[in-house]
Amino acid sequence: MTKAAASSRGDAQISARGFQRYEGERAGVAGSIRSVMWQSMRATLGLGRPAKNKIFPVIAVAIAYVPAIVFIGLAVLIPSGIVDGPSYPEYYGFVTSAIALFAALVAPEVLVSDRRNGMLAMYLSTPLHRGTYLVAKMLAVLLTLGLVTLGPPFLVLLGYTFDGSGPDGFGNWLIVLFRIILSGAAVSAALTAISMAASSITDRRAFASIGVVLLILASPIVAGSLVDGAQLSPNWRLIDVFSMPFELVFRIFGEPGNFPEVSTLAVIAVNAAWTFGGLTVVVWRYSRLVIAR
Amino acid sequence: MKAIIETSGLVMQFPNTRALDGLDIRIPPGVTGLVGANGAGKTTLISLTLGLLKPTSGSIKVLGLDPNVHGPALRAQIGYGPERNVLPDDLRAYDFVRHLAEVKGLPRDEARTRASDSLYLVGLGEERFRSLGTMSTGQRQRVKLAQAIAADPRFIVLDEPTDGLDPVQRDEMLNIIVQVNRDFGIDVMLSSHVLEEVERVCDHVVALDQGRLVAHGAMSELAGASGGVELELVDVDEPPHSVDAVVQLLQASGTTVERSGAVLSVTGKSDDELFDAVGAAVAQAGARLRRLGQRRRTLDDIFTDQDHQMTDARSVTPNE
Repeated sequence: MTKAAASSRGDAQISARGFQRYEGERAGVAGSIRSVMWQSMRATLGLGRPAKNKIFPVIAVAIAYVPAIVFIGLAVLIPSGIVDGPSYPEYYGFVTSAIALFAALVAPEVLVSDRRNGMLAMYLSTPLHRGTYLVAKMLAVLLTLGLVTLGPPFLVLLGYTFDGSGPDGFGNWLIVLFRIILSGAAVSAALTAISMAASSITDRRAFASIGVVLLILASPIVAGSLVDGAQLSPNWRLIDVFSMPFELVFRIFGEPGNFPEVSTLAVIAVNAAWTFGGLTVVVWRYSRLVIAR
Repeated sequence: MKAIIETSGLVMQFPNTRALDGLDIRIPPGVTGLVGANGAGKTTLISLTLGLLKPTSGSIKVLGLDPNVHGPALRAQIGYGPERNVLPDDLRAYDFVRHLAEVKGLPRDEARTRASDSLYLVGLGEERFRSLGTMSTGQRQRVKLAQAIAADPRFIVLDEPTDGLDPVQRDEMLNIIVQVNRDFGIDVMLSSHVLEEVERVCDHVVALDQGRLVAHGAMSELAGASGGVELELVDVDEPPHSVDAVVQLLQASGTTVERSGAVLSVTGKSDDELFDAVGAAVAQAGARLRRLGQRRRTLDDIFTDQDHQMTDARSVTPNE
C-alpha cells in the first residue's frame, strides 16, 4: 500500500449525521406543486412501483408510438410518392385509442385515489391549498396526456425531417412544430378537463373511467344520429366531445377536417367550452368538499 | 411564553352538529395531549389548526398565524400525522416520506437525506425500502410519524398516533414522540382517547367533551397527587362487614370517606395523619389491605367530575 493511500484511508470518516434541524432554503408553493405533479405522473405511469403498475401505461404508449415508428420506417424504406404517410392531423386517427385510454384512466388515478385514501387531507396539510393542489393535479394529467398527444406527432415530424420529407425550410418546420404543440395542448386540455370533471363527481375510479369512456363512445354516436339520421343542423356535431378536439387539430393545420360543414369558430368555441366547463365542475366540486383530516 | 395554539370563542358548527362550542384555550410549547371521547371535537380542532376548516365564529392562531389567512406559510411549519390509514400500499416508506418532505418545501437532495434520517429516528432505518403495504400497523404508525417530522417542522400534530398498537409498541411510539420534543425542540400536539398515555407523556392537556372544554392546563396541575389517601381492602367473609367497619372507624376519627366498592378515598386531614388513621382503623376492624397510597387525581377523574356536574345540572334544570 502506498503512503498516500494509507494517509487518505487514515483521514476517512464515517459520517452518520442522524436526524437534525434544517435551517436551509425551502422551495415554497411552487416546489410543492412540482412535487405533487411529478409524483402523480410517476404513480400514473407506474414509475417506482411494481411491474404490474407499468402494464397499462406501456401498452397505451406503445399504441401511440408504434404507428409513428412504422410511418417513419415506411418513409425511409419506400421511395417518396409510392406510399404517402398520413398528414399530422390525420396521424391522430391512428392513436385515438391510446388517447382515449389515457383520458379514461389518468385523471381517475390522479384525483380519485387521493380522496379515497385520505392523501388529499395530507396534501392540504402542506403549503398547498385546494386551488394549488388542483393546479398540480391538472398539470399532471395534462403532461401525462401530452405523452400520447404531443409525443407521437413530434416523433413523426423528426422522422420526416431526417428522411428529408419534412417541411421545407426552417421557418416552415417551426410553424409545423408550433401547430403540433398547439394541437397536442388543445386535445390534452379538453380531455383533461372532461376526465377531471368526471373524476371529481364520483369517489370510485372505475365509475369515473366508465363515465369518460361512455362519453367518448356515446357522444359521437348521438351527434351522428342527430345530424345524419334526424337531419338536424350540422352544428349538433358540436356535442361530440371526443371528435371535436381532433377536429380542432385539422383546423389548426388549415385542413377542412372530418366535419367541414361546422365552422372553425364553432369548433374553437366548443373546445373552449368543454375545457372551461370541465374545469369549472372540478373547482366547484372541490370548493364544496368538506375535508377534515 | 409564546403560545403554539391560541383560540378565543372558537365555534365550529356543522349542519347538524356543533363540533366546537366557544373554545378558549392557550397551548404553550411542549407536548400537549388532546383528549376526549369520539365526537368530543378533537379532530375538528386539528382540522381548524391546519386550516382545513374555517371556523363558524371566534378565532384561532397557530404559531402566531391565522390558518385561514396564512395557511401555506403556516402549514410549511407544521407536520401532520393523520389517524386514517393514508399510506399508499405500493409505495416504499422512503419514497412516501421523501415525497411529503418535498411537498413541504425541502430541496430534493435534502428531502432524500432527511427521509432516511427520519425513518432511522423512528426505528425503521433497515425497513425503509419496504413497500408500505407489507408493513405492520406499528411500522405504518412510525412511517406516519417519520413523514410528519421529515421536513423539520416547528410543531407536529398527531391524530391518535398509538391507535392499533400493542402495549409495547405504544410505549416505544410514545418514547419517540417525547424524544422528538425533548431532543429536537419540536412541539407536539397528540390526540388520544387513552387517558393514561396522555398523562404519561404530556406536559399540557386539553380535555374536550361534546365540543366543550372540560379542562385545560399543565398536566402537573390537573392530574397527580391531590391530597388524601386511597386504599383498597379485600372484601372477605371473616370478619364480616370489615369494609363497613373501616369506613365507620375512619369517619369516627374525623376524616371524610368516599367509598366505591372496596376502594376508599380518605381526606380531611394531613396525609401523615390520614395514613395513621387508616392503619389504626384497618387493624381495629381486622380488615385485609390490598393497597394503600396517596390519592391521585387522574384525567379520568376530570371527565367523571364533568359527568357529575352535567347530571346535576340536568336534574336541577326542570325544577327551575
